[in-house]
Amino acid sequence: MRLTQFLATKLKNFSNFPKEYIERSKKQVYWKTPSGLPNYTQRTVERKRFRYTTNRPWTGQFRQQNMPGTIRKKVFLNPVDEWGFFRGDRVEVLVGKDKGKQGIVTQVIPERNWVMVEGLNWHYRTVGAEEGFPGILIKSESPLDVTKDVRLVDPSDLQGTEFEWRYTEEGEKVRVSARTGRLIPIPETNNQTHDYKTPGAYIEREKDTAAAVVSEITFQPKLSTFEMDIMEEMGIEEERIPKKTYWY
Amino acid sequence: MSSVLKILNVAKTVKTVCTSISNKSLTNSLLNRIQCQQIQISQNAFFFYLSTRSFHSSRPCLDLMQFFDDPKNWSENEVKVGRAWKLEELRIKSNKDLHQLWYVLLKERNMLLTMEHECNEKMELFPSPERLDKVKISMENLETVVRERNKAYHLLETGETGERPSRVVYNALGLRHLYKSCEHVLPPHMNVKWIKSRNIGFGGRAVRKFLLLYREKLYNVKRKAKNRSRNEVMMMLRRNPNIDIQIIRSKYPDVDVDKLLRDDKTRGHFVPKVDI
Repeated sequence: MRLTQFLATKLKNFSNFPKEYIERSKKQVYWKTPSGLPNYTQRTVERKRFRYTTNRPWTGQFRQQNMPGTIRKKVFLNPVDEWGFFRGDRVEVLVGKDKGKQGIVTQVIPERNWVMVEGLNWHYRTVGAEEGFPGILIKSESPLDVTKDVRLVDPSDLQGTEFEWRYTEEGEKVRVSARTGRLIPIPETNNQTHDYKTPGAYIEREKDTAAAVVSEITFQPKLSTFEMDIMEEMGIEEERIPKKTYWY
Repeated sequence: MSSVLKILNVAKTVKTVCTSISNKSLTNSLLNRIQCQQIQISQNAFFFYLSTRSFHSSRPCLDLMQFFDDPKNWSENEVKVGRAWKLEELRIKSNKDLHQLWYVLLKERNMLLTMEHECNEKMELFPSPERLDKVKISMENLETVVRERNKAYHLLETGETGERPSRVVYNALGLRHLYKSCEHVLPPHMNVKWIKSRNIGFGGRAVRKFLLLYREKLYNVKRKAKNRSRNEVMMMLRRNPNIDIQIIRSKYPDVDVDKLLRDDKTRGHFVPKVDI
C-alpha cells in the first residue's frame, strides 16, 4: 500500500491516462451474471493475472500477449521496497555487453521492476522476414531489472552508487547517494507526459476549462442544501408541507 | 415543436406534484429530476451563461447534432483534452456552477457514448476513449462534493447525515447483508405487509448445514491465500538467495520467513559459491 501510494505521488505516468481507463482497457471479462435479476448473486469471471511486458496495458499488443483464455507462467519479481528510478535518471548498467556504461532512463515499467536505458543493452530484431526476403533489422533496447542490473549515478563524481530515501530538515523526501551522501534529484523529465513537457506548457484545447476559471473561488458558505440553493437560484418556491414518512 | 410542448406540459404537471424538500436524499434526487426537466426549458440561457464563463465553448446549436462530436474530430486518431475535475477544484465552486457543470458533463458523456456507438457501428476507431473515463471521474467527484455539502447541512441542522439509512440484517440463509431502508407512508408497526415480508428468521438443520459448508468455503479461501503467499516467498528465495529478507518480512507479514529459510525447498538448484 505504501509503495503504491508513493508511486502515485512521484512516478508520473507518461501516457497521462486516468487509472480507470488503464484498468478498463486491459479488462477481460469471460462471464458475468445478468444484472438486476434477484435469482443471481453477482459474479464476474475475468482474467486476474496479466503478463506485463514492454507493451503497455492499453495497447493491442498487450492484449495479443494476454489473449483471452490463455494462461502464462507466473513471473517472480524481487520485491522493491521503495521505487527509486525515474524517467531521465542517469544510470550505470551492471550486466550485459554494455556493462559499465552509463545512460538515461527513457521508460519505467514498475509492474516488472524494469527500466529501459537509452541506447544501451540493445539487440537486433528481425522484422518482416519471409520466404525470399531476409527481413529488416531493427535495433531495440531490452529492459533492465532495477534490483540487480542497474544502479543510479552519483551526480557529484559520475560514478555508480546505491541510494536511499531520506528526509530533509524541511520534511521533504529525497534520494541520497549511499556512498557520498549527495542528493540525487528527481529529473524534470519524469513530469513529462504524452500531452505536455511541463504542466505549464500545456496548450488549452477547445473543450478545456481555462485555468483561471478553474482556480476562481465562487463558493459562498450558506445554510442550505444543494437542492435548496438551486431552487432559490432558479426562483422555484415550495409552500406545501410534505406528509410524514417513515424510513425503515 | 411538439416535443417542446410536451416538455412544458411535463414541467407543469411536475410542478403541481412536486413535494417540498425533506431531509432524505431520496426526495432530493426526485427534486433533482424535476429540476432537470425544468432546465430543459431555459436551455438557451444556460448555454449563453456557459460560453461567457468558458466552462464550455460549444456553439449554442440545439439540433440532434449535439449528440455527435465536432465533424473535424471524426477522422482524427487522437482528440487531445485536459484531465478530469479534481475534488479540491470542485469544492471551491458555487452550487450554481456545479449544477451547470453537471449538465455540461452529462452532455459530453452523451456525446461520447453516441460517438463510441457510431464508431463501432461503422467499424471505425473511436479516438481517445479515455475521455469517457475523464468525464466519469469528474461526475463522480462532483456528486461527492454535492453530497459533502448536503451532509454538512443535515449534520448541523438535524444531527443526522441525511443519507439513506442502512443496517446489517440476516437473511433466511443466515447470511449478513446491508439492508437499505425505504421510505414508507405507514409507520412500521402498522405496516402488516412489510412486517410479514421482513419476518424471517433462520434456523433448522438445513441452514446449519449450509452455514457450516459456507464457512468452510470461506476458510478455504483464506487458507489457500496464505499457502499461495508462502509458496511465492519460497520461490523468490529459491531464485534469488541474496534477496533482501527485511523487504519480504514487511511485504508478507503472515509468512514465517525464518522457517522457510531452514527449509530444503528454498535452496536453489545450483552449486553454492563458497569463499576460500
